Amino acid sequence: MAEATATETTNEEWQPKIVMFCCNWCSYGGADSAGMGRFQQPPTVRVIRVMCSGRMDPVFILNAFLEGADGVLFSGCHIGDCHYVNGNYKATIKYKFLKAMVNELGLEDERLKLDWISASEGERYAQVVTEFTEQIKKVGPSPLKPEGVI
Amino acid sequence: MDIGDCYVGWATDEDIRTRGASGGLVTAMLAAALEKGLVEAVVVLKKLGEFEAVPIVTSDPEEVKAAAGSMHSVPIVLSRYLEYGTKVALPAKPCDARSTIEQAKRGQVDIDTTYIVGLNCGGTMHPAMTREMLETVYKLDPEEIVGEEIDKGKLIFETKDGEEHAIKIDELEEDGYGRRESCQYCAVNIPTMADIACGNWGVIGDLAGKGTFVEINTEKGIAILENAIDAGAVEITPADEKGKAIRAKVDGAMMKVAAAADKKYLSPIEGSHLDYYINALSDCINCGACKTVCPVCACGEGAKCTEFSSSSDTYKMSLFHLVRFVHLMDSCIGCGQCTDVCPADIPLTHIYQRFARPIQDEFEYKPGMDMTTPPFFGVDLLEEGH
Ligand SMILES: Cc1cc2nc3c(=O)[nH]c(=O)nc-3n(C[C@H](O)[C@H](O)[C@H](O)COP(=O)(O)OP(=O)(O)OC[C@H]3O[C@@H](n4cnc5c(N)ncnc54)[C@H](O)[C@@H]3O)c2cc1C
Ligand code: SF4
Ligand code: SF4
Ligand code: SF4
Ligand code: FES
Repeated sequence: MAEATATETTNEEWQPKIVMFCCNWCSYGGADSAGMGRFQQPPTVRVIRVMCSGRMDPVFILNAFLEGADGVLFSGCHIGDCHYVNGNYKATIKYKFLKAMVNELGLEDERLKLDWISASEGERYAQVVTEFTEQIKKVGPSPLKPEGVI
Repeated sequence: MDIGDCYVGWATDEDIRTRGASGGLVTAMLAAALEKGLVEAVVVLKKLGEFEAVPIVTSDPEEVKAAAGSMHSVPIVLSRYLEYGTKVALPAKPCDARSTIEQAKRGQVDIDTTYIVGLNCGGTMHPAMTREMLETVYKLDPEEIVGEEIDKGKLIFETKDGEEHAIKIDELEEDGYGRRESCQYCAVNIPTMADIACGNWGVIGDLAGKGTFVEINTEKGIAILENAIDAGAVEITPADEKGKAIRAKVDGAMMKVAAAADKKYLSPIEGSHLDYYINALSDCINCGACKTVCPVCACGEGAKCTEFSSSSDTYKMSLFHLVRFVHLMDSCIGCGQCTDVCPADIPLTHIYQRFARPIQDEFEYKPGMDMTTPPFFGVDLLEEGH
């Protein structure tokens, strides 16, 4: 019993490391709006800006996991709003491949997520980050984390 | 002659006809294509021994003629040896043909100048494994073997003394011998994607063993066969309905066998997938051979899988492998080359297929069957209202 309580407390204190890729024109602006609007969000996310969600290379995502990310989020403009016409369609297809890959590899499905956030959706940005953080907290630290990385 | 026509044909040259696997038709067609200038080069297997051959690109019809016969213990994919822009022909098992098409989609092969002479394929064996099997199961000296044949589900070896030694392939495979694992679950037996599909299934009556069944699939298929007929190198007769039906029936039966092998080898991993993969890849010595031989990969040096990965990385898995798993999800045809060359005996084909199958099913996209573009490149500007 005492042991169980101890793990529960450590779990509560554990903060996941999340890598988030945002497209320059929408989602990165969304992050800015979230900050300006002072919407509360957990400090779990490291944002990396890419020009377009279509620029997302599977290498980025796989490398993030290998470096110790507990979860990876990637985000772009809503369908129809991509500044490079159809980059987010391409992102959708890459996402399907990556999802299938991550599932077969044995990483939990919850660790990878694609979502669309526009530049004005500061509140939504904060909400996506909060929900994703909760989701990762539930599944715990990534089994791909290298030795010694917290 | 029209697309869809089926014939039984043979080489008019007696020597080619006897040395050829069924009727020497393929050899005669390839040699005539060179002699008449339909192509500038032909890729064939140059025989070094009963279980050993090397792919050669040749313009010498004599070398093509010397290559007659099927080598079941040479699981080499020939499409790797094609060069862009050369008018070339190659004999092609389904995996050779499918990888040629995947190369063409990636600008490595010009499909318009490449004549794919398809060979039906029931499977190939690993040469080292074949030798071991001969010694331990057949109790024969591999050096004594002068010929091999697959007939009615049996693998038959002929020795110098003229004796034939037959064992059921099923039995061999239960003991871990016989066809390579990837060939056991390869469900494409008739190369419908080739320009012309040749084989011995469906050759019946007097012509059995002395004729090759051909099905014309494309205009190029018509061209290469008519060229050989005009050169006087081959003769053909229309295939009869009974032969066609037998061919289709055997093909269907082989597909069922492949589906059973699929269940046997590729049923979901029990327990932790991640542990399985980390463990399976832990013996990798980073030699890069699996990438070099892969006949659908179009990256040369400086590929993403190698550029972003370093042997000094201390990750739980190598990025090299993870990148390749993703990159081959839409193109792996399960040809088995990667497993064959891996010095650490990692069952790579098996692993690539595990990643590729679900997504190929989801997109209903089967690589190498036709020139359909892979899902990612199928996104066009006009899609969904743009
Ligand atoms: C491994 C293998 C398995 C086969 N299984 C079946 C089968 O189950 N059912 C069926 O109907 N037909 C099968 N075939 C096809 C059949 O054996 C004959 O190749 C075909 O009928 C053409 O006969 P041919 O006399 O016209 O060919 P040939 O004139 O003998 O010409 C054969 C050509 O194939 C090339 N070749 C030989 N071995 C290989 C190889 N391993 N990979 C690539 N090219 C090669 C040679 O270089 C030569 O150019 C198989 C062929 C191979 C190579
Ligand atoms: S993978 Fe298929 S086509 Fe290729 S050698 Fe094996 S059985 Fe033949
Ligand atoms: S990954 Fe292996 S089995 Fe798949 S196409 Fe490449 S060499 Fe063949
Ligand atoms: S062939 Fe085998 S040892 Fe060499 S890089 Fe590929 S998996 Fe590693
Ligand atoms: S620019 Fe935002 S998704 Fe393409």
